[in-house]
Amino acid sequence: MRKVKRLVYLVLTVVFMMSLLAACKKSDVKETAKTKQETKDDGGTKKNESKQETKAESDKQNPVTLRTVSMHGGTDPNAANYQELNKKFMSDYPYITIEDDSQTSDQDWKTRIAADFAVGNEPDVIQFFTDSNASDVLAADKFVTVAEIKAEYPDYAKDTLPAALEAAANPDGVQRAVPTTGYWEGLFCNKDLFDKYGLELPTDWDKMLKAIETFKENDIIPIAVSLNAVPHYWIEFLMLAAAGPEGYTTVPQSTPEDWAKGLEVFKTLRDLGAFPVDTDTIDNDFAGELFKNKQAAMQLDGSWYTGGIPDQDNTVVVSFPVIPGGKAEAGFMVGGLSSGFYITKKAWNDPDKRDAAVKFVMTHTCSEAVQKYWNGNGTAAAKVEPLADMTPLGISGLNYSSAATSISTPTDARIKQEAYNTLIAGIVDVSTGARTPADLIDEVLQINGK
Amino acid sequence: MPEINKKKKKVKVSTILIYIILSLWGITTVFPFAWVINNSFKPSREVVNSSFLLPIDFTLQNYVKAFDNLNILEAYKNSLIISGSVTIAVMILSSMIAFAMTRYKFRGKEFIHSLIIASLMFPVFSTIIPVFKMMSLANLLNNPLSVIIPQVAGNLSFASVIMMGYLSGLPIELEEAAYMEGANVRQVFTRIIVPLCKPSLATVGIFCFLWSYNDLFTQLIMIRRRPKFPICALLNEISSKYGTDYGLMASSIVIIIIPVLIVYICLQKNIIKGLTAGAIKG
Amino acid sequence: MLYKKKLPLLIFLVPGLLLMVLFLYKPFVENIFNSFYDMTSVVKMPGQEWKFIGLENYKRLFQDTKVRIAILNSLKMMLLSIVFQVGIAFLLAVLVSKIGRGQHIFRTVYFFPIVISASAIGLMFKLFYNYNGGMLNQIMAALGKEPINWLSPDKAFSMISIPIIWSYVGFYFVIILTGLNAISDELYEAASIDGCSNFKQVFYITIPMVRGVMCSCITLAVTGALKVFDLPWVIVPKGAPQGVTHFLGTYMYEQTFTISNIDYGSTLAFLIVVLGVIVSKVVSVLIKPDKNLQ
Repeated sequence: MRKVKRLVYLVLTVVFMMSLLAACKKSDVKETAKTKQETKDDGGTKKNESKQETKAESDKQNPVTLRTVSMHGGTDPNAANYQELNKKFMSDYPYITIEDDSQTSDQDWKTRIAADFAVGNEPDVIQFFTDSNASDVLAADKFVTVAEIKAEYPDYAKDTLPAALEAAANPDGVQRAVPTTGYWEGLFCNKDLFDKYGLELPTDWDKMLKAIETFKENDIIPIAVSLNAVPHYWIEFLMLAAAGPEGYTTVPQSTPEDWAKGLEVFKTLRDLGAFPVDTDTIDNDFAGELFKNKQAAMQLDGSWYTGGIPDQDNTVVVSFPVIPGGKAEAGFMVGGLSSGFYITKKAWNDPDKRDAAVKFVMTHTCSEAVQKYWNGNGTAAAKVEPLADMTPLGISGLNYSSAATSISTPTDARIKQEAYNTLIAGIVDVSTGARTPADLIDEVLQINGK
Repeated sequence: MPEINKKKKKVKVSTILIYIILSLWGITTVFPFAWVINNSFKPSREVVNSSFLLPIDFTLQNYVKAFDNLNILEAYKNSLIISGSVTIAVMILSSMIAFAMTRYKFRGKEFIHSLIIASLMFPVFSTIIPVFKMMSLANLLNNPLSVIIPQVAGNLSFASVIMMGYLSGLPIELEEAAYMEGANVRQVFTRIIVPLCKPSLATVGIFCFLWSYNDLFTQLIMIRRRPKFPICALLNEISSKYGTDYGLMASSIVIIIIPVLIVYICLQKNIIKGLTAGAIKG
Repeated sequence: MLYKKKLPLLIFLVPGLLLMVLFLYKPFVENIFNSFYDMTSVVKMPGQEWKFIGLENYKRLFQDTKVRIAILNSLKMMLLSIVFQVGIAFLLAVLVSKIGRGQHIFRTVYFFPIVISASAIGLMFKLFYNYNGGMLNQIMAALGKEPINWLSPDKAFSMISIPIIWSYVGFYFVIILTGLNAISDELYEAASIDGCSNFKQVFYITIPMVRGVMCSCITLAVTGALKVFDLPWVIVPKGAPQGVTHFLGTYMYEQTFTISNIDYGSTLAFLIVVLGVIVSKVVSVLIKPDKNLQ
């Protein structure tokens, strides 16, 4: 026993020492070839060919290092596209080095970005929210407006549709960001499960109730959702269904009955047993697994969810049914365009970086790039070619979004983050009946008005 | 104890009982470790569906993926620089504080004692933002110092509490004898106190290393450049990149644990040495 | 007489304290000031002003039912920590110090749960408790029983206490063992020659000799229980289910980072520290840590 332990210890130490040595050596090489480091993810071998073509140009230029940040990190389906465009960009302009820091856009990350902006550590280019999610950062007033950039670079954002640019304007109405793609949210259904039990897709509320009842009897979870972690989509659709686009998108002073009526449905559904038994504790990922494994029949999610579903043939997206007494017209949809590329004043006021930053944004927002980012999911901010090889689910999503009778942006685009997060945090209590929807909405509006 | 056992020769029932109890607890602590290692050799789907079985479809893919995508060795180096300096600094400073607090009588001692205890409770989340501002003003962001200094400060209160507890149990006679023979305070500290404290210094060292090493929160806030990432920050990135790839997560955990285990095994020898250094005998 | 001169005292005390003041106290005091303002973001953006709201956050503290749950849970956790964490650790440490062979194996093995990060342990327990196909429900199915929702509101607190207590026993084990090793063998030998049984030795020699160490352990357990955060946050985030598993640490984190009510989060942080100071004062009055001091 003791010998074995000693041996393990010895091996561990040797491995570790060797790795340290290797690390030291490697780091010397790294210092001299910083560029390579950044593109390491992609292999970075094909670079040399295109390098020569642009060499003449690069000789005239001072080397520039551009610090960029985007939300295409982590599990974002566009992370690979983003990296690929960066790689292409660096081979087109060898004098520019990109130091990219892309992350999944969770709450912690937003906090870190806000802290960066506050202390003057902001990046040169950032792909970030455009709605009230960005209000912290916008308050620092560190972005250049699109108009200002266009005055000097008339080609800036030339491919972007004017409507898209308008949709990506900040809450104060000023355009600062150039968007690439938008998204929609919709009700994903495992059609094979509906067929198996002879059910119709839940296009109206009665069919929805019937489906819930039948699935419940057959030990299939009707709706995969984690009320504790991500009730967002359900909040949006229920409130929108109850209030109609108009009532939904105006932020009232006092509690609107319609919103409360929408949220009351949470309790109805919970009492029917529509949610997983452990909906109060389950992770969103686990809930997703339930749907993907066919243990659950329906899930509300966004267009980015499409790609991750293994069964592309038997999954469909349908529009959310209008709840009884709801004011919305059938075919309503939550969706929008809520992010885009910004250039910071810091980069704009630096003569070397200004040009590089503009080129960077143009690389990511031209038609070609948007085509890649879009790839059949959600909506595109520039003219795109329809795709030839879409999966049945992809087509279903496209049909759903193009048939929408109204498109509304979600509530978090309009109210303060703190207020919205309070709403999210209160949903479990609303669903159990521990708290009335009106009481919750009161608190939310009060925080929003503070 | 061994001598006593030898005298009696026969194995006592109580001894067997002791071993059984100890082993039972041991099983609960080894289990998760085995679980993580076991799952690091499985594809992700298998982890979710049958995480408590041996791998059906044994794969090294998780490790290959981790090493291919990331510069793990470089990150080990960054981590060692940070956590190593934190550990050493905390060991030195905390033994000094504990020495002063247990051996001296002075006004305001009670007050300082409560200060130290109170700072045990400071949640990192509530101090980190102002510290971040200070670091950025001092232009230290992305520099290992920006992680080292707050971590030293944060671990110091815990370490001082442990050291004070240990030091207060040591009889004062030895030091007084040394004083009689003409030693000054510095000599008493370095020649008597520090050697006597070795076991508890080792304990403090282990925990400081561990906490500094695993403190993802401070690392993520202070260090933004990928080449400067310590190992935990780097592997956190990979797990956010591949989402619910639990196999990959398990292998990253194994990669994270190895250095800590080495440090523990090295330092725990000192805890045992403390036994023989029980010089208080005379 | 050795310690009459006060100059060395300054040299020993000042560097460490200075660090703590600069990097713990100063930020923390700033934090307290912030709790009187309505903070719109974590840091004040240039040109931004925060509204002064006085004691509003403190008023809310007294009305907030979740704070009550969190305080109650944290107090329960304190008791559990002292009894089980420190208790089990003490027992194990005494037992390990009594055996001859295999000491170092146990010493190493007991440490494992601390080495593995909370997120890994949390993930593991999540896979234990998971309703659909978790290990416990797999066992239930094998026994022919109905699956149980292990994290239902009435069971959740006990279920979450298990990993919290279990994972930190090794921590106190190492500290207590260190203290035990400082006791000279001769004391025990003398005692056993005098006919003192092993059991009595624990009471008359071990416990008095490790008193200082035990006191530090209890202080750490009590303050640790107030700060409990990472395991519950991974296994039952946001006090799930239905807010019954909120601890002060998790509630503060939720307010600060997921709800972004930063000023209220700062208020909670202040509450944690105040409670911690009070409780540890009570502890030190009750058990009087070191005789040398008096």
